Amino acid sequence: MSTLTSRDINLTQSRDTTSSFTLSYVWFAVAMIVLTGVYMSYRVYQQMYGMTAGLDSTEPIFQDIWMSLFWIQLPVLFGLVALTQVYLFFTRDRNIEAITPEVELKRYFYFTMWLVVYTFTFYWIGSFFAEGDGNWHQTVLRDTPITPSHVVLFYACIPMYLMFGIGGFVYAMTRIPAFCKGISLMHVFAVVGPFLILPNLGYNEWGHAYWLTEEIFSHPLHWGFVVLGWNGLALAGVLMQIISRLRDLLPIVFKPENA
Amino acid sequence: MNTETLQHLQGAAAGQVHAKDTVISVSGLSPKALHFSRVFELLVVAAIIMLFAGAIHLHVLLLAGDWDMFLDWKDRQYWPLLTPVVMIMFPAALQAIFWTYFRLPIGATVGATCLMLAVSISRPASFMWWTDYPLNLVLPAQMIAGAIVLDVILLVFRNALFTAIFGGFAFAFLFYPSNYAIFAPFYVPVSHQGMMASMADMIGYVYPRSATPEYIRIIERGTLRTFGDSASWVSALFGGFICIFMHYAWWYLGIAMSSMKFLPNNAKVMALMGTKSDAKAGA
Repeated sequence: MSTLTSRDINLTQSRDTTSSFTLSYVWFAVAMIVLTGVYMSYRVYQQMYGMTAGLDSTEPIFQDIWMSLFWIQLPVLFGLVALTQVYLFFTRDRNIEAITPEVELKRYFYFTMWLVVYTFTFYWIGSFFAEGDGNWHQTVLRDTPITPSHVVLFYACIPMYLMFGIGGFVYAMTRIPAFCKGISLMHVFAVVGPFLILPNLGYNEWGHAYWLTEEIFSHPLHWGFVVLGWNGLALAGVLMQIISRLRDLLPIVFKPENA
Repeated sequence: MNTETLQHLQGAAAGQVHAKDTVISVSGLSPKALHFSRVFELLVVAAIIMLFAGAIHLHVLLLAGDWDMFLDWKDRQYWPLLTPVVMIMFPAALQAIFWTYFRLPIGATVGATCLMLAVSISRPASFMWWTDYPLNLVLPAQMIAGAIVLDVILLVFRNALFTAIFGGFAFAFLFYPSNYAIFAPFYVPVSHQGMMASMADMIGYVYPRSATPEYIRIIERGTLRTFGDSASWVSALFGGFICIFMHYAWWYLGIAMSSMKFLPNNAKVMALMGTKSDAKAGA
């Protein structure tokens, strides 16, 4: 641990020379509000049609209510994932090294907002709908891989967190010098790990289809999700990288007048 | 350290200056910089709560979830053993991160609180409102008491090894007694069709889960019954032993996963992403 020296300490009251620095929270607020609305709507849909139309996949009503939702949301959500990345790439900074410290600081804040929204989407899949999935499958016998809980948990929640996980990665790589010049190892883990939950569904559904185990949620069949979920811990490394740079940028951007 | 600094710090120590003012002054940041520093802190706090509510809940759910979800799975053999062993992993990693970088002995409590927050939302939202189970059947266990002790032990010893040995053990050993007040009423024996069952069993019989085994009837058998009332303490003891190693392993996983390492990027990728000078150098 390094210790503070007298050079690091400025006890006199200082004033800003950069009063123009501002942040916009509009897109952050919009993302959080829209996502909350979407997740709540999914839960209401489950409440309305889970028991009434979700118990037997061979019934026509299951096709109307659940398979229709599945086939509509799949291209819409995965399309939005792709569009987000394309937009971020084509609006990238073409001369990333020329940005001023103010702009860099601003982008670090927006990058942190991307991460906050990413963690918000991670909460809904890791906790809220994941436990709903356990609850549903321990209660209702599964006769299809596309059950009312899976339609939401896997085929809606996963693309939504991919949108913000990969989006945050592309944002950082195309707008922040340190994340363009180097590849943040922990950011790779934090995005790729949860992303791999999607292909891990193959193992999960394969096991459920052929092993006919009783629905024990802590069954080894589910441990792939666990190990991939551990990668969320790597976001701590990304936050440490941001903190480390902010420590340098804040005193530069907000220069004390009498320093 | 200059005279002004010393006077200021001495004033703070004497209570003449508010401690918060001293910290802000020592940071050397202007008021506007402090404002944005606070904004950043709020964003980080929000990210930590949501990330670990999701990540820890998913982890516990898929490794020991059945024991935590259902009252009639809270047996004396595996519940006091598996649940704390699984629950200590993320708190140990969080302890490592908070302590190593910020000297904050709060990691385990933060982790435990995030889990409780997540579980407190999802149990009613899923089990009560979707499939109509009574909340009694799906009461979660809590680990906040053990987590506070774990953090206090880190604060006292200031050392990962001793925290693992004493704190890890205490975390598991306290799990059963700290949850006993919640679950004791459900261990009361009742007579059901001429056979003895627990109240937890009875609630489970009334609310069958079609796809789930009737666990406690399977597990409460043979030698476990003849071992008398010490079975749960033996499980807690064994859980404590495993938690020592689990805490130590996850402490270092926490350190590894908070690494600030950047790998060098490919020059062509950098040029594609917007770097000009390095692209020329690499071309």
